[in-house]
Amino acid sequence: MTAGVTYAPGLTPLTGQVPDDQILVRSRKVTKRFGGLVAVNAVDFDIPRGSIVSLIGPNGAGKTTFFNMITGAYVPTSGEISFDGHDIVTTKGSKVRSLKPHQVTALGIGRTFQNIRLFGTMSALDNVLVGQHVHLRSRWWDAVIRSPRNHAEEEASIERGHELLRFVGLDERPHAWARNLPYGDQRRLEIARALATSPKLLLLDEPTAGMNASETRDLTDFIRRLRSELGLTVLLIEHDMRVVMGISDRVTVLDYGEVLAEGSPDEVRANPRVIEAYLGRGAAEGA
Amino acid sequence: MSSLISPVRVESTGGLPSWLRRIGGTVTGWPAFYRAQYASNPRRVILLTLMVIGIFVYPIAYQAVPSSITRALPIPSSTVVVFMLIFGIMAIGLNIVIGFAGLLDLGYVAFYAIGAYTAAFLASPHFGGLSIVLFSDLPAGFPGIHLPFSVILILAAAVAATFGALLGAPTLRLRGDYLAIVTLGFGEIVPIFFKNLVNVNFSFLFIRLENANLTGGPLGINPIDAPSFFGIKFGVISGWAPVYLGLGLVIIAIVIARNLERSRMGRAWMAIREDEIAAEMMGVNTVRTKLLAFALGAAFAGCAGALQASYQGATTSDFFMFSTSILVVIMIILGGIGNIWGVLLGAVVVQYVDKTLLSWIGNRLSDVGAATGLEQLGRINPSTFSFLLLGITLVAMMRFRPEGFLPSRQRAAELHTAPPGEALGSSALFEEEGVIEELDPTEPGGEEDPEILEAPDETPGDQEPPP
Amino acid sequence: MDDQFLQTIIIGLSNGLIYALVALGYTLVYGILQLINFAHGDVFMLGSMIALTLLTAFGVVPGLPLLNTVFLIVVVLLITMAITAVLNVSIERIAYRPLRNAPKLAPLISAIGMSFILQNVGLLWKGPANLGYPDVIPSTNILTSVFGFNTDLEFTFKQFFVAIITIPLLLVLMWFVGSTRQGKAMRATAQDPDTAGLMGIDVNRTIAITFVIAGALAGAAGLVQILYNNTTVWNLGFRFGLNAFTSAVLGGIGNLQGAVLGGIVLGLINAFSDRYLSAQWTNAIVFGVLIAVLVFRPTGLLGQQVADRA
Repeated sequence: MTAGVTYAPGLTPLTGQVPDDQILVRSRKVTKRFGGLVAVNAVDFDIPRGSIVSLIGPNGAGKTTFFNMITGAYVPTSGEISFDGHDIVTTKGSKVRSLKPHQVTALGIGRTFQNIRLFGTMSALDNVLVGQHVHLRSRWWDAVIRSPRNHAEEEASIERGHELLRFVGLDERPHAWARNLPYGDQRRLEIARALATSPKLLLLDEPTAGMNASETRDLTDFIRRLRSELGLTVLLIEHDMRVVMGISDRVTVLDYGEVLAEGSPDEVRANPRVIEAYLGRGAAEGA
Repeated sequence: MSSLISPVRVESTGGLPSWLRRIGGTVTGWPAFYRAQYASNPRRVILLTLMVIGIFVYPIAYQAVPSSITRALPIPSSTVVVFMLIFGIMAIGLNIVIGFAGLLDLGYVAFYAIGAYTAAFLASPHFGGLSIVLFSDLPAGFPGIHLPFSVILILAAAVAATFGALLGAPTLRLRGDYLAIVTLGFGEIVPIFFKNLVNVNFSFLFIRLENANLTGGPLGINPIDAPSFFGIKFGVISGWAPVYLGLGLVIIAIVIARNLERSRMGRAWMAIREDEIAAEMMGVNTVRTKLLAFALGAAFAGCAGALQASYQGATTSDFFMFSTSILVVIMIILGGIGNIWGVLLGAVVVQYVDKTLLSWIGNRLSDVGAATGLEQLGRINPSTFSFLLLGITLVAMMRFRPEGFLPSRQRAAELHTAPPGEALGSSALFEEEGVIEELDPTEPGGEEDPEILEAPDETPGDQEPPP
Repeated sequence: MDDQFLQTIIIGLSNGLIYALVALGYTLVYGILQLINFAHGDVFMLGSMIALTLLTAFGVVPGLPLLNTVFLIVVVLLITMAITAVLNVSIERIAYRPLRNAPKLAPLISAIGMSFILQNVGLLWKGPANLGYPDVIPSTNILTSVFGFNTDLEFTFKQFFVAIITIPLLLVLMWFVGSTRQGKAMRATAQDPDTAGLMGIDVNRTIAITFVIAGALAGAAGLVQILYNNTTVWNLGFRFGLNAFTSAVLGGIGNLQGAVLGGIVLGLINAFSDRYLSAQWTNAIVFGVLIAVLVFRPTGLLGQQVADRA
């Protein structure tokens, strides 16, 4: 346990209810329809403060859709989502209102993408600086006249940028263009950029995709550090079960847009419905 | 929150004294800066220095040389040079919209017109019923509004920016080519308004207009006060003095654009251009940021318009045509998208060809025609070919070098596989300062923007729902 | 309804049909390439100049026997359509095909460049002034002279001519795109060019045929313009192109019926604006309509039909 970071009581292993003020994200009955297709169906989902939660499920289960709704990129068809006491999505009758993504980021949710979406022709440092954009106070007129505030902020944010790059192990070539970096470095840069937005909650979308065993181990340790050193709450979408089982306090399984099971890694692993969803009925009966 | 995660916070930073000290430091640090630049790239520094000296010396040299020689050579007159600078300001402004933020504005002339008419309203006898004379050498009680030029510049910028924001607010969420058409429409509508508001009958609350000639119609408004500082006039009749005024304004424009480029906003624009959805997800308010680019770009055009109207002493709606918008676009495309120096060069070259070279060629042709008896040569007027030249330039540039001759490295990389300047060899002279970085020569052109007609509704990486 | 109102409608419909012909060109090309072919209005302008030249060359003047006139007009129509078709497909080859894989705005800028080139060609060819052509088709009022009505309302032979040329062309086009194999190929390519290619459709050829058709329609419209409005000028294409493009957008870009409907509506808007407001404001109004449609109802009246090219 690291000093200064509060863990929700009863978090490891997580069973039963968690007190309200320890819930960072609360989603109720969140639904997303694309025309006739229901991608996410009345999902209730909570993320306790300081926890590492994995969202798993077969392809097409609605995991990234759900991510997108938390971050404001998609507007749900209905439902409510709140974060850290603020409303992100509210539904009154048939009217659904959602914050815009940049507003959600300002509240403290950062994310990475399944297919890397860095700003390719900008340097690594610049990518991280863009991440800081939302919390910087300097305005365009400050820049035009190079006011003291602008100057001080630029210096401070560049320094913080270097620190963030160091934290993810990337400070050797801060001025290299993002798209010229090797794949693994790009993934780390995406995380650094997400950290730059000063999040309380970090959403990682398949962070270990394309990694070998040792890289995966490194990343798993890194995610633990995110919680222990930075006090972040982390929500992962993952397919690599070693990561999921090894690092999560809690696992939620989605299938066809619905919550199939939820609980500690061990509980979920033994759940026959989960086994059936992944491996088919025969495997479930054999479990 | 751990300090690494928490955002940067700066406390009070010493205010005015430290700012003055820093500006002063920049100024006094110039010799050292110059020496350092020279050490790192002597060719570039020498060339730029020669250019700067040349610009200052050109007017003096021009006047020193007998007019028979200056007329025989295809060198620009004072009016042409002033227009090079006026369009230079516009090119820098439109570069913010197209080059930095990546929005295609085809109606830039609207803001040019708005700036010009603002100057016309505020520095002429047009509103004869009023008499507001401030800081002018005109006698008090002189009819019309007569504000000093510096005030007019600021007001023109503000009015143009306001209209830019008004236009942009409902339209910036449209897709690229639709936005282009809408801005084109605006660029057509505004001059029509200026042309037709000659007979306005309007009654609202306490505002009453009867048969008011608001804008002077096709005849326009004249005379417009020439800019005047410390008793020196900078109008079209003042010879070469206006060139220095124009130069001063261009320098201010360059400084402003440069400061914007390397700021929080500049990075936000670049991010939006690269990947608008990712930028939004990283906390950039894309709507507001694009609007700002649009409004700031409009402000530059407003200043240019005010300068033009004050310099010429008159303005009419016929002056503002769609082709002017395209002309500025060409300056950017030709000169180099995203690169402030590139678009300036584009402005100079295009104005030179359009205003000096073509008519000089026409004159030479008629000379040759008269000399050889082939008088058809004399009847060829190269100016009537200007549209043709513009069109061929556009088609050819898009085909062979869409990023222009001196683009910013980012835009070149986005549009092309080869690094910029390969063909010209020495364009590294004009590249933006900053760390030189290798380009990836194997990447194909930049990704295309996904269709965005409303708020971002899609993040790739999400599986497309099966139909 | 008073006569002036009805008269405005008749005028609006006649010009509207011409807009519709040109609008079809815009909408066909946009449907298949997602490109706003800026130069299309200028192809129309050159078509009108070509028609003018041919009519003069063949000596088509008022007073000729009816059969001769009809025959010659048909000949001029066919030749003009052929020339503009070839012109249009050449433009595609030179200015758009090389940019097939470039960012979307590059072909748009290239189209603007092409438009300038064509305008200058018109300027150099026929000079800066408006050109006129006499009333080969009489302006006499059918209602009074043929039907013997006693009315101020005018429906002239010229307007009848417009309908006779444009409506069959529109119908033929609809049939072509809807029912023939080539038309199906065009629709498939518009929906999804990659898959269409995989299904054995020659995408390049299909696009070329689209441009041929669009060009031919513009040429026909050019002839109608000369014989109905009696005038042309080098920058006619800009105003006409604007109206035609707005028609296409108003009806729903990519949608053929929409283009026709849009053209008719725009013809009416133009006529009413000219009559009841002032011709000076008409252009501004048309642009206003365009902006309003794009901002408030970008899919147009009848809905878009474009591929999802995200």
